[in-house]
Amino acid sequence: MNFDWSVVWRNADVLVEGTELTILLAVTTMVIAIPGGILLALMRLSGVRALSSTSACFVELFRNLPLILVIYTAYYVLPVATGLSFSPITTAIVALSLNVSAYNGETFRAGIASIRQGQSEAAYALGMTRWQTTREIVLPQAVRRVLPVLASTWVSLFKDTSLVSVISVGELAYTSMRIRAQTYRVLEMLTAMAAIYWLLGYPQAKLVDWINRRYAVNE
Amino acid sequence: MDLDFSPVLDSWQYLLRGVGLTLALSFLTMLCSLVIGGAIGLARCYGPQSLRWPLVFYIDSMRSVPVLVVLVWTYFALPLITGVVLPPFWAALIALSAHIAAYVAEIVRAGVSSIRPGQTRAAFALGMSRAQTIRTIVLPQALVRMLPAFGSILSITIKDTAIAAVIAVPEYMNRSQTVAGQSFHPIEIFTVAMAVYFIILFPVTRVVDMVYVRLAYLGRS
Repeated sequence: MNFDWSVVWRNADVLVEGTELTILLAVTTMVIAIPGGILLALMRLSGVRALSSTSACFVELFRNLPLILVIYTAYYVLPVATGLSFSPITTAIVALSLNVSAYNGETFRAGIASIRQGQSEAAYALGMTRWQTTREIVLPQAVRRVLPVLASTWVSLFKDTSLVSVISVGELAYTSMRIRAQTYRVLEMLTAMAAIYWLLGYPQAKLVDWINRRYAVNE
Repeated sequence: MDLDFSPVLDSWQYLLRGVGLTLALSFLTMLCSLVIGGAIGLARCYGPQSLRWPLVFYIDSMRSVPVLVVLVWTYFALPLITGVVLPPFWAALIALSAHIAAYVAEIVRAGVSSIRPGQTRAAFALGMSRAQTIRTIVLPQALVRMLPAFGSILSITIKDTAIAAVIAVPEYMNRSQTVAGQSFHPIEIFTVAMAVYFIILFPVTRVVDMVYVRLAYLGRS
């Protein structure tokens, strides 16, 4: 059996473009999903019944659906529902953002809820206002709880961008598989794809572990 | 927008068998992942030093590569090395198990190391052997603490089986695509698919939470 690894180098420029799109997709989605998650958490904690149940339904729905199904559904539903035509990249960002916003919403909510009631009560007993308590007692600790989870979500998101290849978004997975189909260099291209994801993902996974250790909360 | 759900009704048996395969693949993947991941996790905590870094490398590598890549690689590239062509279902089972076992191993490690070292020392002081200590002191408490994480692994497993559609495992996602393509009613097909997946997945998370609330006290120390 002979392998021809030069196919990887000959297509290096296309692979780099694919990698750039993968990173762009992940960054864009996170930029949308952090405010989205904060909004969902605020709605959930607002105390207004309609808002909190809308937020809860949204979060539970998208946390309990396979992302690949959300991507397909977005691909077919968005143009019909809005009457506009969407590029695959836009569709991908919409689908990924819905998914990650739901996860972030739950992360922010859990982060705020994880600070024991006793701490707020102690702050009130010391004469601090509600806003002061939130700003000086709850949020600084909640951030430490939220940050490691956000970092993990980021790594998941980075990997999940590979799923949008099913709607022909030319990111790393799609590009690699397209070159594979054109050149019939199956093992070489698929191994190169795995290697690129590994090279990008491995340091991120390690960084997440470090953030987890660094920001461990000891109440 | 006119919705017409008749394609779903026309192909309900075909789709239902897909749901069956989704559940079967999820169950087998979960089983294999628990066994492999449990072994890796314990070997990482208690195994010889020389074994630890290859295991850590394996776990971290699986955590950094998308499951789609593992699936596609196992199905298309692995046969070129081994010479054995795997049917899609078995390729999916191997790939998903290899991927999810890494997460299980991490959970096992976190669970075991959450049991305070004082307990192990106390057991040793009472004259218990290493194996006894692990079996009767550490693991029972650690298992209870791992339970919620295993629950989310189960829900991740069921969701990840949908990705096996990419390598043509005829599970529910794949069959939905087929029906959607043939009937030209993708919106209805995928809406039903969303409902079905939600109905499968939502109780999983709820039931695990409920069970955990009942058992949480066993994990206290």
